[in-house]
Amino acid sequence: MNAFIREKLSSKLDAVPVLMARVIDMLKETTFTEDERINVRLALEEAIANAIRHGNRMDAALTVEIIIEVNDTSFTATVRDQGQGFDVASLADPTAKENLMKTSGRGVFLMRQLMDSVDFFDGGRGIRMTKTLKQGG
Amino acid sequence: MKITQEKCNDVTVCNVEGEINITTSTELRKNFDALLRDKVNKVIVDLTAVSYIDSSGLATLIELFQRLKKTGGHMRFTGMSQKIRNIFEITKLHKLFEICDTREAALQNF
Repeated sequence: MNAFIREKLSSKLDAVPVLMARVIDMLKETTFTEDERINVRLALEEAIANAIRHGNRMDAALTVEIIIEVNDTSFTATVRDQGQGFDVASLADPTAKENLMKTSGRGVFLMRQLMDSVDFFDGGRGIRMTKTLKQGG
Repeated sequence: MKITQEKCNDVTVCNVEGEINITTSTELRKNFDALLRDKVNKVIVDLTAVSYIDSSGLATLIELFQRLKKTGGHMRFTGMSQKIRNIFEITKLHKLFEICDTREAALQNF
């Protein structure tokens, strides 16, 4: 299969479920296992939520661009906001004892744990993540 | 998401159903706010019917944990599916929270 989504969302969280419903449907057409679909969904939702909340700071005048490509062997998502960017190296380890009680800082960590690759670009405004299908085709 | 509560002696069991995500965690927070207003200090969160949780959902649970702790209260979890437990384990939150396999175990000595 080959599927592609390109969307620009306004920086409102209520815009996310509609897009995610399309992504979930798309993933059902793949050979991802249910657990893999959940992991991909979670990583993507975290990326979009971060772009809206931390990147664009919920400024409705700014948009988040999302590009999703799925084929027989992989799922790739690129999420890009219009904010100020951030220093990826400054992210703390949310699993460190001193950070466990913190109520933020788990999004990027989860993405990295759940996807095969996660790369930032454009000063932290963009993120590209990939998950490779275990049973391609 | 649907949230129902029941009392078992002095313990409030909070049954959560559906997804705890960025759009539903606000509703869960409101529910927890009401619990704390009622001076509840022993809470079991039953996640048997929860199919999905994201970082905002985890944050909402940590908030309740923190607020209960401040007032000398306690919380426990039960009913976690393996999918949900995986997220707690990846984030190491299983080390922070008391997670019980069954509701009976959660109620025991609480």
